[in-house]
Amino acid sequence: MKPVNFGIDLGTTNSLIAKYEASKVTVFKNPVGQKETLASVVAYRPDRVLVGDKAREYLVKDPVNVFGSFKRKMGTDEKYYVVNIDDNVTPVQLSSLVLKELKNFIHTGETPEACVITIPASFDTMQSNATLKAGQEAGFKDIFLLQEPIAASLAFFNETAGEENKDGYWLVYDFGGGTFDAALVQSTDQELKVVDHEGNNFLGGVDFDFAIIDMIVVPEIIRQTGITDFEQEFRVKYGKYEKLFYEVMYYAEEAKKELSATGSAYIEFSTELDGKKYDFSIPVTKEKAGEIFLPIINETIKLLNNVLRNNGLTPKDIRQVILVGGSTFLPQVKEQLAEQTGISLNSSVDPTTAIAVGAAWYAANKQYEPSIEETAAEHTEQAIETANDILSNVDFSPPDLKVEVSYNKSSRDKEEVLLIFCEGTYEDKYYRLVRSDGGFDSGFVQLKAKKTEFLPLIPSVTNHFTLAIFDKNYDELKSLAKEIHISQGKYAIDGQPLPHDISIEVDDVENKTTRLEAIFERNSLLPQKRTLYREISKTIKKGSKDSIIISILEGDKNSRPLSNLTIGCIEIAGKDLKTDLVKGSDIEIQLHITDSRVLNTTVFLVMTQQEFKNVFSISEKKINLERLKEQYTSLEHELTNTVKEFQYNQREIWEIKANALLEELHTVKERLFRLKKNDKSDEKYIIAEKIMRLSQEADKLGGNERISLMIEDYYYRKDQVKETINTADFEKEELKRQFIKIEQSEASFIRSKNVSFIQTKLEQLYDLHWKALGNTTSFLITKFVEFRDLGPEYYRDYNGAKSLIKLGNAALEKENYPEFRRHVYSLSGLLHRADFQMNSDFKGTGIG
Amino acid sequence: MLNPAHIINQLFEMQSRINEAGMTANFERNFKRLYSLFEEEGYIIQDLTGEAYTESRTDCEAGISGKIGSRMTITRTLKPVIYQKKDGAVQLLQKAVVIAENK
Ligand SMILES: Nc1ncnc2c1ncn2[C@@H]1O[C@H](COP(=O)(O)OP(=O)(O)OP(=O)(O)O)[C@@H](O)[C@H]1O
Ligand SMILES: [Mg+2]
Repeated sequence: MKPVNFGIDLGTTNSLIAKYEASKVTVFKNPVGQKETLASVVAYRPDRVLVGDKAREYLVKDPVNVFGSFKRKMGTDEKYYVVNIDDNVTPVQLSSLVLKELKNFIHTGETPEACVITIPASFDTMQSNATLKAGQEAGFKDIFLLQEPIAASLAFFNETAGEENKDGYWLVYDFGGGTFDAALVQSTDQELKVVDHEGNNFLGGVDFDFAIIDMIVVPEIIRQTGITDFEQEFRVKYGKYEKLFYEVMYYAEEAKKELSATGSAYIEFSTELDGKKYDFSIPVTKEKAGEIFLPIINETIKLLNNVLRNNGLTPKDIRQVILVGGSTFLPQVKEQLAEQTGISLNSSVDPTTAIAVGAAWYAANKQYEPSIEETAAEHTEQAIETANDILSNVDFSPPDLKVEVSYNKSSRDKEEVLLIFCEGTYEDKYYRLVRSDGGFDSGFVQLKAKKTEFLPLIPSVTNHFTLAIFDKNYDELKSLAKEIHISQGKYAIDGQPLPHDISIEVDDVENKTTRLEAIFERNSLLPQKRTLYREISKTIKKGSKDSIIISILEGDKNSRPLSNLTIGCIEIAGKDLKTDLVKGSDIEIQLHITDSRVLNTTVFLVMTQQEFKNVFSISEKKINLERLKEQYTSLEHELTNTVKEFQYNQREIWEIKANALLEELHTVKERLFRLKKNDKSDEKYIIAEKIMRLSQEADKLGGNERISLMIEDYYYRKDQVKETINTADFEKEELKRQFIKIEQSEASFIRSKNVSFIQTKLEQLYDLHWKALGNTTSFLITKFVEFRDLGPEYYRDYNGAKSLIKLGNAALEKENYPEFRRHVYSLSGLLHRADFQMNSDFKGTGIG
Repeated sequence: MLNPAHIINQLFEMQSRINEAGMTANFERNFKRLYSLFEEEGYIIQDLTGEAYTESRTDCEAGISGKIGSRMTITRTLKPVIYQKKDGAVQLLQKAVVIAENK
């Protein structure tokens, strides 16, 4: 047998857990935020389950998914329907989640099998059994129930142990945040028992806060502003003063606490009311507070007197009133109690923790039979060498679930993206990410094959996160836990680090666009030197107007070139060449960036043996007009698609913003396309600046949420494409190769958190999907049938189409699919279709 | 001993009110200096105004004004977040008290 030692106060609004050890009781703190109390609230938010203080914030605004005060419903058959999970939850289930969360407070690494849980004196058998059941669901094998007034008395008796004999009647006065209880406790030699009790489940500290608001703050606001309907409007949910209401709620509670500490307080705030600015400084005096608190306090004293009267007792028969609950901090409460009852008061125990502390004292004297697992786990503490063997016996984590993570170990951003990959049976399991300092807690989130989570970082320190995995009952699978460390903003200060990536713009001919290739990465220390070896991607005839453009840009290497600042641009035109420059010939680009960030470039054309040297100081901008026009068009195209995407996803606000950007972009269109190559005005710089800014803003549209959606979309499409490629009948190997190429860049583009980069990959996948379909016979047949039935108005050359249809039919008959495919392709080429003409005369930079 | 969180809260409130009175410029240097003194002692102080509010943010207690939505912003900070650096670890010393709105 072993002592139970753990005591839990499972409260209506707040819960606590404490442990007895070595003749001392410790109240555990929430690792998230270091508070001793945990709000007894559970929130089923759209994609995660939250337990505790954060859940409480959503209580008023999302009542169909967030539940509190379920203690009042224990032992009833009432169920809560949760809209977000389309299922019912019971008060027992909700309580067990709170109990499980409290177990996380235990920082000693123990997983107790037994505990004491307190219940109100008023609980009947059904309610008590419901509490037992909640305890069992939370993983406790042995549970002992204890009435709250007894727990409070025990806390007090043990605090003053060794003193005189405690026999007689005691009153426990428990005045919390939302409930009041008065209990008559009798102590005899051998035992403590609750003789009688009275309570009010809707009377608590918040009533004082409202008294301050309604009787002091609101009248003063009306007096100063003359707004006559202020009182009616102020407390209205979603009303026009709602924001001020929350502020005043906070100020009122602070003022109340200030009153307990110093005897007087001021409520001071500035606000705008109906378009006018006001500064308020409202005194809350001791006298006024005494006056407005009195009716509330009297209500509690009335209940207390009822208990006495019902039991034929007078104040003289009571040894002391034991004060518990946060509201007993108020001096007015103590004064009135003393004055009106004449009984001596005892406030020697901490009123917020007393019940949990008493429960732990009680637990110290209760015994239970530990299970084999617990005994085994204990052995591991003693015999560390064999710990792993035994632990693997007690840990029931499924061997068929594998969890991997991917993230950047250092960052200069305010947040980093974490990728979680699962293999095996991840359905109906959850993960939870907690930052060790307590400022971030993801709550319980359903696992998926791939998940992304944005981790906020505290600047200039190493941020530690724990990833824990839970089964469907929210029990942790301990062997799957992972530690994640990300250091923010740290680098060796040997030299000056580069604030941005420096990249070169190269052609991406396959996708008819350009992309960036990093030369120097952000945070590399200056000076830096590097030589790039590339091929010329198009032939340039000596003396022609064609040219190659070497653009050096500063910014995020993962963003589209347009979002970067061009810091150097070298144009080598046909007229500069000694001989023709043939596609595929080599080009060497040497770059050197000095301490003071002057960029030196040397370009060597191997074929013509020519060298071009340039020096750029990073304050000068270089802009090539033709490239700028091309960039304009591609941004316009992208934004147009973005608007469509948002429309499709019904993201109205994003759509409005994207449209605004598009409109702003259009304002420069005419100016830009009118500009002559040799224009000497500032115009092109102004336009370039604007396009760059719009491009950066386009990247930010929708923020993290959009990025998450895109990543989800990416994985979804990827699976689709994979499947299509598997069933393709032609060019399977080539399709696979392209697929792998995209897949290989996955980790880097997801981590980049850059919309346009992810978008590019999405589009590549999309194209690949069409390509794969176009190589699948069954799909080709469907398309062919569709084309066959189209009327002449759909074709540019209907006669040509008719003969292709004939050929197609014949090939299909003969089951000559390669030939059939050719005909379908030609046929589709005859269709009027405007939507794939984009970028057909792509010029690019000439560097591949 | 003086509770640093209490001092920081007063400082923060003073700053907000000076701000509201449009007199920030007169005191900017003093505030910078005062905050840096706390930073030297290992306190990290954050005003969350303007940041996104999410349900994973346990660094604040929020009053949610208006309808809840998936993109909420912290529009007012009544009390700042305070972290404390100690022996290489960071601990949340005080949660911020904020107002969040769906914007
Ligand atoms: N110093 C103080 N002076 C006055 N009131 C205080 C003080 N400190 C806390 N309170 C009040 O105590 C109340 C919270 O008390 P407590 O933590 O005992 O309640 P609870 O156990 O959560 O609620 P309940 O027992 O109703 O479920 C709040 O209304 C709070 O404003
Ligand atoms: Mg209580």
